[in-house]
Amino acid sequence: MTLTIVLLGAAALVGIGLYGALSQQSFVMLMMGLELMLNGALLAIIGFWSLSLGGMPEGQLLAIIVMAVMAVEMAIGFALIVALYRKRQADMTESLGTLKQ
Amino acid sequence: MTLLLALAVLGTLLAGTLFAAVLDRTALPLVAAFGRQRVETEAPDRMNRDLAPAWYLALAAVGLSVVPFAPGLALIDSPVGIVIWGACEALTVVTVFLHGWSPNAPFPLIGAYRYAAIGLPVMLPSMFVLIAAALPAESLSLVAIVESQREIWNVVRQPLGLPLFLVVALALTLRGPMDYADAADIASGTSAEDSGPARAAWQVARLAMLVSVSAIAATVFLGGPLGPVLPGPVWLWLKTAVLMALIVWLGDRVARTTPSRMLGILWVVLLPLSFLDLVISGVLAL
Amino acid sequence: MTDLAVALLAAFAVWTGWRVFRVDSMVRASFSLMLSFVAVGGIGVLLSAPYIGVATVFMMAVEMMVMAIFMVMFMMNPAGLNPMMMVHQHRLSIGAGLVAFIGLGAAVLLSPLPRDPVPEEAQVVAQLGHELLGPSMLIFETAGVTLLATMVGAVILSSRQGRYGAADEGARPPGLTEGGEPAGRRPEGGGGHGHHHHGGH
Repeated sequence: MTLTIVLLGAAALVGIGLYGALSQQSFVMLMMGLELMLNGALLAIIGFWSLSLGGMPEGQLLAIIVMAVMAVEMAIGFALIVALYRKRQADMTESLGTLKQ
Repeated sequence: MTLLLALAVLGTLLAGTLFAAVLDRTALPLVAAFGRQRVETEAPDRMNRDLAPAWYLALAAVGLSVVPFAPGLALIDSPVGIVIWGACEALTVVTVFLHGWSPNAPFPLIGAYRYAAIGLPVMLPSMFVLIAAALPAESLSLVAIVESQREIWNVVRQPLGLPLFLVVALALTLRGPMDYADAADIASGTSAEDSGPARAAWQVARLAMLVSVSAIAATVFLGGPLGPVLPGPVWLWLKTAVLMALIVWLGDRVARTTPSRMLGILWVVLLPLSFLDLVISGVLAL
Repeated sequence: MTDLAVALLAAFAVWTGWRVFRVDSMVRASFSLMLSFVAVGGIGVLLSAPYIGVATVFMMAVEMMVMAIFMVMFMMNPAGLNPMMMVHQHRLSIGAGLVAFIGLGAAVLLSPLPRDPVPEEAQVVAQLGHELLGPSMLIFETAGVTLLATMVGAVILSSRQGRYGAADEGARPPGLTEGGEPAGRRPEGGGGHGHHHHGGH
């Protein structure tokens, strides 16, 4: 029962995150969508580890890896945004018609 | 037992806040602030403006509740006590930022962004010295950290730990050299638009945080409730009071530098020093 | 009891997650996202993963603070208390989000979920530590090296002074109207920046 609730919550978080990542025009908001999807993944991992893996330590390890992924995503994402802004004064996805110089 | 510990935490927070007000000589202005009218700004974020002092106070209370009052006895006896305190530190930066952002006025916002820029690099030395203190205990629990100091206090074993943590304490309690949020040079920054009870509540929360951060420092570096003759809580209170006085004195005595220079000091001097502290304690723990 | 608390926290996480894309200011959005993470951390603590739960709260508080700092650089109005709705391909996104939710939800409801909870007396924090520095050391170290590479990459990407001069040289701000004059600072000499000579490199 608990696991079902947790996984449904995780599914909702992934859904909302996907909506945000696809719909937002501002880079910063787009990254929040990505973070929200990872949040859903983290919730699902915690639920599975706690309730159906009998406390396998690798489950916790996976959660740590997800957090590392979030940190990498944030750092590289913001660095790319800064670089783009410097180059083209762009802070919206629409300003990027092409990836060429 | 839990009830007793909860009472101890509340009593310590209350008495400590009063003591801090005496140390800071702010007791009278605090009472006087209650009589004043409240300042209204244009289009503020009402929820965060009103709740910021409450969150600050709540973080101080949570931080204090992981502190063991006697060997083996803490209200929140968690295996990750020190990480809980770390989360309180990080959320304090968020709270101060929200306090400055919510009135929607220039000086508070400048204070908020200045504090965020300084507060984030302060978190790093804080984490490293706390992890260094956890190494000899081989545990993240504060109860175990106290036990590991039966032979020798961490302040002797890791001489760099306490001075670095005092910098963190100054930043968390918005004091003296680390007060980039509420300083006089930007018209008292995040509280520039506060008046009346809201201002008093913010100041009380700031004093309560001084109690918590001193109690944590006493626990992690000065052996907390350990000591001869007197019972555990008394030792903890004594050490906490001494550290509170030391932090207030440092806040009064040390001058504040510009934010940019402070950022340089934090990243180039204090962060490597905290690495050194970690290395020393790691080698000793082997 | 735990069930109810978990359900409430999960609902709170979803609601604050939804608020992220519905509030008026990016500061509110980012701290709403933080609340969502805090709720997930709370679920972790309730479901006997204290380290993961509390570490999530800690990490996300710092991360959202960083996000707020970046926001002041990239937001049209830093205090951000004006209405804000900046979306494209809205219908498609709603559809995709719903499909993801319904698909994952159906998978959850239709598949038999194994039931094998963490033993009460397990020392989960110690287990995690032994796993990190024992059997999974290589994974852990790889994560560490990846983070180091990230730091180097982020600094290089965001450093202003590139190999061929300042990174923002010759960049034009977007116009206030579509196809209009560039907003903000105006290059001196009326757009002839190609002919300037900026010292000898």
